[in-house]
Amino acid sequence: MLRTARRSVQILLLGFFFLLLLLARYPFENPFPVQFFLTLDPLVVFSACIAARALIPNALPALILLVLTAFAGRFFCGWICPLGTSLDASDGIMAKASRSNTPEKTRLRWIKYGIWIAIVSASIFSIQLAGFLDPMSLFTRTAVTVLYPVFVYFTDGWIGLMFSVGFLEDTAFRINQALQSLVLPVHAVLFRGSIFIAAMFLIILVLGHYQKRFWCRNLCPLGAMLGLFSLFRLYRRRVDDTCTECGLCHRSCRMGAIPKDVRKTDHTECINCMDCQAICPVHAIHFDLRSTPSAAPVDLSRRRILGAGASGIAALGLLRVGFRDSVSAGKVVRPPASLEEAGFLDRCVRCGECIRICSTSGAGLHFTALESGWEGLGTPQLLTPAGYCEYNCNLCGQVCPTGAIHPVTVDEKHRIKMGTAHFNKATCIPWYYGENCMVCEEHCPVPEKAIQFVEKEITTIDGRMASVLLPYVREDRCIGCGICTWCCPLTGDKGITLNHDGEQRWPVQEG
Amino acid sequence: MKRRTFLGASGLAAASALMTHPEKLFGQERPDLVVVRNGEPASLVREAVQALGGMSRFVGKGDIVVVKPNMSWDRAPEQGANTNPQVVAEVIRLCLDAGAKKVKVFDRTLNEPIRCYRRSGIEEAARQAGAEVSHIFERKFRKVSLPSGELLRSWEFYDECLDADVFINIPAAKHHSISGVSLGMKNIMGLLGGNRGTIHRDYDKKIADLNTAIKPKLVLLDAYRILKRNGPSGGNLADVEVRKTLVAGIDPVAIDSYGVTLFDRKPAEIAFLSEAVKRGLGTTDLSKLNIRTIELKA
Repeated sequence: MLRTARRSVQILLLGFFFLLLLLARYPFENPFPVQFFLTLDPLVVFSACIAARALIPNALPALILLVLTAFAGRFFCGWICPLGTSLDASDGIMAKASRSNTPEKTRLRWIKYGIWIAIVSASIFSIQLAGFLDPMSLFTRTAVTVLYPVFVYFTDGWIGLMFSVGFLEDTAFRINQALQSLVLPVHAVLFRGSIFIAAMFLIILVLGHYQKRFWCRNLCPLGAMLGLFSLFRLYRRRVDDTCTECGLCHRSCRMGAIPKDVRKTDHTECINCMDCQAICPVHAIHFDLRSTPSAAPVDLSRRRILGAGASGIAALGLLRVGFRDSVSAGKVVRPPASLEEAGFLDRCVRCGECIRICSTSGAGLHFTALESGWEGLGTPQLLTPAGYCEYNCNLCGQVCPTGAIHPVTVDEKHRIKMGTAHFNKATCIPWYYGENCMVCEEHCPVPEKAIQFVEKEITTIDGRMASVLLPYVREDRCIGCGICTWCCPLTGDKGITLNHDGEQRWPVQEG
Repeated sequence: MKRRTFLGASGLAAASALMTHPEKLFGQERPDLVVVRNGEPASLVREAVQALGGMSRFVGKGDIVVVKPNMSWDRAPEQGANTNPQVVAEVIRLCLDAGAKKVKVFDRTLNEPIRCYRRSGIEEAARQAGAEVSHIFERKFRKVSLPSGELLRSWEFYDECLDADVFINIPAAKHHSISGVSLGMKNIMGLLGGNRGTIHRDYDKKIADLNTAIKPKLVLLDAYRILKRNGPSGGNLADVEVRKTLVAGIDPVAIDSYGVTLFDRKPAEIAFLSEAVKRGLGTTDLSKLNIRTIELKA
């Protein structure tokens, strides 16, 4: 009964997760809390709060979740987490092949506490690590850059196949037009680095071959945090006297939360999946508020805590020197109204919500590789000429769950300078070839035009003298949207490039 | 109604119509170009089409019609960067009244398409007028050879437009920093696939080459607002001038030549127009044309 409820809730919420992902698109006029799953995640919310030394907006859902967890344990993992649901689905396939539930193998479970301690201690020193392994960040990022593009690729492939069959041509066109209003993008965007994100996700799925919910048991830092809050939970598993100690629940528990002594339960591991209650042949298992002295020991001996803490602090020293370096810090163009770099990095959890919604507009935001050092890995940047920042768009700030990108009005956004465009005189068509071209100028969205022309006689590439309209950038007008770089007709090195010169971060000092 | 009564009644009606409009009996020469001034967008369109002989001259019963506005930019109508939405809507209504089976509206935009379709106001106005508004479907581009092209030998054009019975071009009148003006011949670029940026090198010859492939049956140049500086995308209301004018006709070169004068320039100064004349696409000699100017009173 409860198991069926749990499964339905899981499927519905996974569907809801993807619906929110699809709803994160222009025009976004009745803003839906598309970042809901991230604001529900206490690891995301509190590590950002601690690193930024500030209360971020939207902290309430995560707080409520923590209170509920203290009462009812890790139900989030069993019922809500979209990564958990995906793992249950894939474990169904993996486990059949290997029958590997390995309830006795519990010695790796402390790793997740180590990861969690490292994340929390790093955030105390204003280093934001939660995004790499937090399950909501990880799953959102995977959905944005891997699952959705794969879905689009196949859907579009089918439409293309239909289109190639003469009499279905018009139907294919109509299906495409209809799906564009919610499900399909107008332009399919492929994201840089998605191969690594995909690999990480696949590894997590494949670990299920070794143990069901391997990730949740042994690695997930959010699971660790929620587990610790479950230590004194009131709503818990209880085994009554009719138990025959057949061991079925012990063998089948997906979390390995039931020890050999099946009357006991590891309350930090139990995710309320209700499997044991459903399969117990004598109906001896209940979930309720009656207290029983039944807790199994947690995998956190004092030695483990000290070990995890010490390695966390040692890692911090390494991170401090290795993560930030004085060569590459901040050398990227950030989304409009991003906080100043240190504050931005304190809050950004690398979830990719901004990148998702940007892909429905100028598609300029992509994950940063190592251009701004290891600390910037996986954070968003405006990457031209892959895309550009659409002038009348302010959506990235609306969906950022932690306020790393400040939500601003379109008018405010028009006045924020993200960087400056520079002509590349060694390739630009007028500057180098001596032929008129104005594609960058016509695209420049600034009313007074940040690109201007001066007519001059120059020596062209083939030695002629020619009178040409030479374009130049008015630095004071350029807002760094990068559409000039994006639209430059040159297919090799663009004739105009963008960097973060003169960038303004939020709050902008006017004047 | 019996046939005899019908014939009698229509004969009577025709006779009385001729009495009130004697010029129709003796066939006043059809104008080559109609310029309507001082009206609201919809009435400008109605008067212009009327003066050219009515929409049924261009659109037959059951025709598939493509109406091609300029909706390239994520700009509002008052910014003058796109065709006026009411002009578009009125053209669609006239086509449907003339018996068109379907009127299609689309453009390959320069900003993100959903934004351009919405903010230009054209998507909503065109749908309300009964047109089918669709986004560009990349698979529908088809390579067309340009036998009389000087620089371009072929280019990809949008299928929907090539296959239509009637193509009506309704550009916006705008300043353009390379060619001087962006008018009807330039509006063809919204039907092109491929890397359109490259067309801007040797723009004048290439735009004339491209216009040899596709000829509108009717051109209505929207100059209700004209963008006088910083075109074609504009953005500054100070660069927009309200002219409440519409220029219509069937010669794309003549219309653009007249359009040039709205910007206080001469057709001879605009290089792509002389290239178009070389390719036999029309005339720039406004003095040889029968231009009818209609002043509407508010």
